[in-house]
Amino acid sequence: MTTTLLPARRKDQPRDARLADRRSRQDHPSWFLWPALAMLVIFFFTPTIYNFVYAFTDWSSFKSEIGFVGFDNFVKLLQNGSLLSDLRVTLVYAILVAIFQNLFGLGLALVLERDTRINRFARAAFFVPVIMSALAVGYVFQAILKPDGVLNNFLTTLTGGEVSIPWLGSTTWTIVVVAIIHAWKWMGLSMLIYLAGLKTINEEVIEAAQLDGAGYWRIFKAVRWPLLAPAVTFNFATALLGSMNGFDIVQATTAGGPGGSTELLNIFIFRTFGQGLFAQATAMSLVLFLVVALLAFPVIIYLRRRERVL
Amino acid sequence: MRKSIAGFAAAAAFAVVAAGCSDPTTAEAPDSSSSAGGEMAAEQWPAQDTSRDGVTLTIWAAQNSTQTAESVATEFEELTGATVNIETIPDPYEQSIQTKVATGDMPDLAFWQPTASMLTALNAKTNLQPLDGAPWVDSYTGSLADMTGLLDGTRYAALVTTPAVEGVYYNKDLFEQAGITETPSNWDEMIEDADTLKAAGITPFYEMAADRWATQWWVQVQLADAAADGLWDRVNANEETFTDPTILGAIENYKSLIDDGYFNDDIKTATFIDQGNALLDDEAAMVMQVNSYFGQLQSLTDSATLDEKVGFFPISPSGNVGTFIPDQSNAVVAFATGDDEREATARQFLSYWLGDGYQSFVDTVETVSLQDGVESPAGVPMALQEVAASLDNSVGSMQALAIANPDLYIYLADMIQGTKTPQEVAEATQQQFAEFAAAQGAAGF
Repeated sequence: MTTTLLPARRKDQPRDARLADRRSRQDHPSWFLWPALAMLVIFFFTPTIYNFVYAFTDWSSFKSEIGFVGFDNFVKLLQNGSLLSDLRVTLVYAILVAIFQNLFGLGLALVLERDTRINRFARAAFFVPVIMSALAVGYVFQAILKPDGVLNNFLTTLTGGEVSIPWLGSTTWTIVVVAIIHAWKWMGLSMLIYLAGLKTINEEVIEAAQLDGAGYWRIFKAVRWPLLAPAVTFNFATALLGSMNGFDIVQATTAGGPGGSTELLNIFIFRTFGQGLFAQATAMSLVLFLVVALLAFPVIIYLRRRERVL
Repeated sequence: MRKSIAGFAAAAAFAVVAAGCSDPTTAEAPDSSSSAGGEMAAEQWPAQDTSRDGVTLTIWAAQNSTQTAESVATEFEELTGATVNIETIPDPYEQSIQTKVATGDMPDLAFWQPTASMLTALNAKTNLQPLDGAPWVDSYTGSLADMTGLLDGTRYAALVTTPAVEGVYYNKDLFEQAGITETPSNWDEMIEDADTLKAAGITPFYEMAADRWATQWWVQVQLADAAADGLWDRVNANEETFTDPTILGAIENYKSLIDDGYFNDDIKTATFIDQGNALLDDEAAMVMQVNSYFGQLQSLTDSATLDEKVGFFPISPSGNVGTFIPDQSNAVVAFATGDDEREATARQFLSYWLGDGYQSFVDTVETVSLQDGVESPAGVPMALQEVAASLDNSVGSMQALAIANPDLYIYLADMIQGTKTPQEVAEATQQQFAEFAAAQGAAGF
């Protein structure tokens, strides 16, 4: 897209400039775009458009014909309580993940800020979960958090009394536990972005604050935190919107249980699709798409505005 | 430039959508059932040893059924010169297969739950070969031939192993310890025995609500009498619903048994594996389960111990009627791929499997024989023989007789976790059932 992003050639430009302009255009022939564009169209645009089209049909595994049914699927979904309750669960989950992931990531970035050998190693270590398979992470935590799992055994040894807390068995708190697992998996990424943000802060500003007699917390609150605003925007938005699409970790740890208290919309979609109600599942994923889009704009606009104010 | 790219993208997308907006499986299935006359019948069911050099068959199997067909496939390869590839499709098996088939990808044969609801889910009338008039149908023992594998009177699935039966696996030692000498002969007697066990300080029943899927057996066995009386026909016609007294009553009864302490204390967090251990470790006396549970017990200990320790009895409100629920590992379907020779080879393979190859098959996989002339091997554990014996007078489960298979088990697990009342369980199940039925175009929905 480079070529199209250049300013349009203006008549009043000097001839040399126009020539240079043309030459720079010729540096990047438009067909360079085609492979990437083809990938984008085939693997992104097309499925998205299908997602819009099939949501208005009665496509299912039960019969061969596909007919348009208008807004039927959406009407039924709204009548069915599951959609709204799953959307609520999804929203709560996303907010929890965004909070935890940023807390963990920022904490790690501050602790591992200095470029010592140990810190470099620790940064790499905390980044490992990011590149791990989410399903594997889910299954590992499921084993750790079982009533007779590693965590309870550890707590039993620590406290001396028998501890058998069903970490994944509470209809109230399990969603928090699962959100923490999600945040744990992705905190390395947030840490990296916060580290990059901290590095961009001018040393002189910090020095000036120190000369003014500000302590660590005062500098953090008044200088570094405001200057980290772009990193906060990125981290918070990606964590929130990314976990709206969460599926793998929750599927592996609780599969939506106990009692549907961690049933994200994607798990519901997966279940519906697997039962052969393809059109209904598509309609749900369209709803999710719209909700994420509707959420994205105000969140990003708010965080951007916040950057400017700070 | 910008315009042309956007135009290209839009045109391309439109073309793909226009082309894609038809179901790839719509193509007319070759109607092999219309063949008439003796000559055509021979073609329909070729001799078991017809040479098939150069033909390759693909069989889809789940993780727990992938070994089942191995020996019979090897024998068939030697006999006919065909090549048989068994592909393991990862779990969740049914969902993967439905999705693959819906997008036009199909094997020659696949393990599949032979119930009407699951055959419908695969759009059997379009995607599967009818197996009417198959040479093996008459050899089935008892009423097995009519029990399952049929959709609207047409046979689409070949039963290869004993369908699972919902019933009670019990710990003989604990029964003895509580002074119970005979297994109960109806529901009330079972509850009386449970009271006796409870009085002796033994947990009567063990349930696994964390893994959810077994919760539905408790409701289904209570419906056995009603099922024999046409309950599921009425549900299929929308004349009776899950919220009506029969089914709702069974759900409420299950809930009150849990509330009254008949079950293990850790019912909310217990898993399938815990359930297996519980019966063997004398933690609980009875488990309401299906055949795969026995498979789990077999993986934990040897057959001799199991024969000694674990027994099985079917149960229904008024007697010892089992509720059968054939699963994916019990039956095989043949796909209408459109390739005449491969389709014929697939039918021939089934003929061999349930024909000349059947004795060697039951011997190799150590399973109960489904055919009159074929002996079950000596190594089949007693409990499994009891299960097979209970099949003859058993009635169909929801999966076997209802036109759709709603997530009753998930809602029941929700009830155990405390997020749904029995009424809400019934409502959610009915709503989902109606949705499936409507998607199928069933009358009355």
